[in-house]
Amino acid sequence: MPLILVGLNHRTAPVDIRERLSVSDQQLPEVISALRQIPGVEGASVLSTCNRVEAVVSARTEDVIEAIVDWLSRRGAAERASLEQHLYILRYADVVKHLFRVAAGLDSMIVGEPQIGGQVRSAFQIAMELGSLDPLLQQVFEQTMRVAKKVRTDTSIGEHAVSVPYAAVELAKKIFGDLKGLHVLLLGAGEMGELTAEHLHKQDVRQVFVANRSHERAVELAQRFSGQAMQYDKIEQHLAACDIVIASTAAPHYVIEVEHIERALHARRRRNLFLIDLAVPRNIDPAITKLDGAYLYNIDDLQNVADANLEVRQEKAVEAEEIVAREVEAFWKRLISQDAVPTIVELQRRLEEIRASEVEKTLRKMGPISAAQREAIETLTTQMINKILHYPILQLKDVSDEPQERESLRQTIRKIFGLR
Amino acid sequence: MDFSPIVLLYLALGCYALGTMAAFASLFTHEKRAQTAGLVIMSAGFIFHTFWIGTICARTGHPPLTNLPETLTFMSWTIFAVILALYIRYRVYAASFFVYPLVLLLLLTAAVVGEPFAQLDPSLRSTLFTSHIFLTTLGVAGLFIGLAFTMLAWMQDRSLKSKTRGRLWEWIPSLNVCKVVSYRALAIGFSIYTIGLLAGVLWSYRTTAVPVEARVKQIGAVVAWILFAALLQTYISGTYRTKRTIFISAGAFVAIIISILGIARV
Repeated sequence: MPLILVGLNHRTAPVDIRERLSVSDQQLPEVISALRQIPGVEGASVLSTCNRVEAVVSARTEDVIEAIVDWLSRRGAAERASLEQHLYILRYADVVKHLFRVAAGLDSMIVGEPQIGGQVRSAFQIAMELGSLDPLLQQVFEQTMRVAKKVRTDTSIGEHAVSVPYAAVELAKKIFGDLKGLHVLLLGAGEMGELTAEHLHKQDVRQVFVANRSHERAVELAQRFSGQAMQYDKIEQHLAACDIVIASTAAPHYVIEVEHIERALHARRRRNLFLIDLAVPRNIDPAITKLDGAYLYNIDDLQNVADANLEVRQEKAVEAEEIVAREVEAFWKRLISQDAVPTIVELQRRLEEIRASEVEKTLRKMGPISAAQREAIETLTTQMINKILHYPILQLKDVSDEPQERESLRQTIRKIFGLR
Repeated sequence: MDFSPIVLLYLALGCYALGTMAAFASLFTHEKRAQTAGLVIMSAGFIFHTFWIGTICARTGHPPLTNLPETLTFMSWTIFAVILALYIRYRVYAASFFVYPLVLLLLLTAAVVGEPFAQLDPSLRSTLFTSHIFLTTLGVAGLFIGLAFTMLAWMQDRSLKSKTRGRLWEWIPSLNVCKVVSYRALAIGFSIYTIGLLAGVLWSYRTTAVPVEARVKQIGAVVAWILFAALLQTYISGTYRTKRTIFISAGAFVAIIISILGIARV
């Protein structure tokens, strides 16, 4: 049964086309139902994220492609010809490969990003709940999620942070391990600082202290992180109690000097202190790097970490592509042999019926014979049938042929042997 | 066909050698699979090692602690047992680059020196003497683990300070975990080692009326004890400094090795 994917993504279509075709979670039931109504479609699912819109269907014939493209152009209020140049149409094993790559994050804008795995799972789950997945699509979905998990486990492709705030969290974990129970101090209300504090807050740190020139703004931010606002001129008193300090103020000079940190480290009995300076001009004296137990990263350092991580992800992507290629081959072979099973079973049953009935007729004509003679005749005829079926079955299981050729062979065999 | 128990020692050695090679291969290929394979092979070696120790106990009727090879055999076994437990708790891969060769080297030295199945001199059959050997060996194993993690903490500190990923970046756990494990191993190892040394002093005094003889083994042990005390003090007092810690650790390691090699037949 043909497996077909029609879609577009961030590489093939600009955002104005993607947004016209995008499907929200609320719209999914209606969209999937519309796809199912296309004559010939057996099962359907739609994957829609900010970077892609893809319709995955299993159908009786490939003729449904035209109808799907028509339906897409109507839905996107676009001329068919102009939409077609942004579309990709994949068939059979290419669909499987594409889905495996997408779910593993290999087709994402930032390679290895972890969110896409969840989006693929959610898309298929919604389709399953709507009853729009036939057995073929269900198998493809389950295998897609298995392969995505395998890729992520075997290559750790998603483990390396590729944005500045995530790089800061990753480094904090490299210093402290578990971030639970840590105290964070956010100085200033710069956008990047807020974002970093937010990521740290999500890691269940114990407390976020916020200090800002405008105390009202500090209170507002502290509420956002369920933290505590403090007076800006009292930050030094709190330094020793904090494990992570994020500086993101607009001050044109150093807000934190070497002496502050020396005193803080002494009070902390040299427990590690992570300082993140996201401000330009810098807020933290770079000489602090020389102090034992203090780890200072500025915005460039964090960007370098993110860039290096991106390179690591690219290297891991090569390994991931190899895993995907192996998995596609194995899965596709399995699907094809499954596809041939009904014909093979029917063929064997048909020939067995003929053999049994002919043997019975012959034995009636022959009159009484011994059990040994009867068994010899049964064995002889069974072996003949098996020999006759050997090559047709091999051909039916052959995965090297093109899908159309395999379908044509199946039809021919069914016709020759008079199968229904 | 008769089964010679020495085969167990050779099998353990073979596994440890292969496991160490696999761990080092992972260092260059960055393949987690090689690291896992190394751990599995080392664990197989550990099983043979355990049977080998059992054989020594069965043949001699006492714990394997009466001469240098036996002590090294027991020490390397203890070190690997602890590192296995730490792996299960913290998933520490990088320790293998230090600990596997150490385990291999200790057991290899035991095999080269030979002298297995030493029958204990009846005059040495005392609880105090056995406690002394058992506790100091156990203590040294703990101290070695502590040193390995001090080393890892130092490497992690260097990477974080220089803002470059070393080869071991991904294999080493967080700096905090390295310091905590290092401190705990040193504290526990040091306490056991101290009790072991005291038991030795007491036993020596009872048998020869001299608490401590000025031989290489004893001097090495005392120097190591002082250096480990200093190392532990830096953790407790919060005066931990990376460079200082590494120098003291290196000195303590050398002193321990001298002390171990000073163990002749008892």
